[in-house]
Amino acid sequence: MKRLWTPAWIARHVAMVVLVTTFLGLGWWQVSRAAAGNAISWGYAVEWPIFAGFVVFVWWREVRHALRAAPAPAPGGEVTAPASDDHRAASGEDGTERPRAGIRRPVRVTRVSDGPGEDDADLAAYNRYLSWLNANPGAKPGDYPG
Amino acid sequence: MRAALTRYRVIAWVVGVVLILLVVIGMPLKYGFDNPVVVETVGQAHGFLYMVYLVAAFDLSRRADWPLKRMILVMLAGTVPFVSFWAERRVSALVTAEQREREAAPEPIAG
Repeated sequence: MKRLWTPAWIARHVAMVVLVTTFLGLGWWQVSRAAAGNAISWGYAVEWPIFAGFVVFVWWREVRHALRAAPAPAPGGEVTAPASDDHRAASGEDGTERPRAGIRRPVRVTRVSDGPGEDDADLAAYNRYLSWLNANPGAKPGDYPG
Repeated sequence: MRAALTRYRVIAWVVGVVLILLVVIGMPLKYGFDNPVVVETVGQAHGFLYMVYLVAAFDLSRRADWPLKRMILVMLAGTVPFVSFWAERRVSALVTAEQREREAAPEPIAG
């Protein structure tokens, strides 16, 4: 968790705590105003906690994003680890060679089955179509020339 | 992306207009003429519309892969009367330019 204790991250944690306590405090203030007879304050009393929740949500998302972007130095990274050869090479010395996870999602292409089957031609055509789609990210399926 | 930008622009415009109604009409009526009805109705509506604005801005920032700082600035810009319109125009120009750049140089790997 060291990478969440850099100065920039500490500033974010502090900002999150300050904002959440402020918003909850404002919500509580509106509750007291509502209890004192200002009926319109009930609406604000609902709104402030929602904004506080939103702050926590964005903070939590950033934390998760940071943890995913910089994989843990411990070996045996789960899903993000590439093929075993690369994995061994990457975790060899200092782990700097390890590819950054979370930047690009690997594309899973359907593997052509090695056994004979009547739908091999269809499958190959479909795979050609998939690789064409992969090579032309902006294209729509209707643009496929094949 | 384009749909997210449109959603953001629509709600940004609505929130901007409601905020100006609140500040230019509601506040003087309440504090100058002791007639709080505009503030009571529009103020509540603005709070909930601003939530929608936050969600739209968050969605757009996630799709456009913005840094956290820009996302927060855009969210805050929605709270400043009149400035919100300028911010909306800047965001639109930025997102459109980035998208054009992306289309000019297509990446080989689908994300």
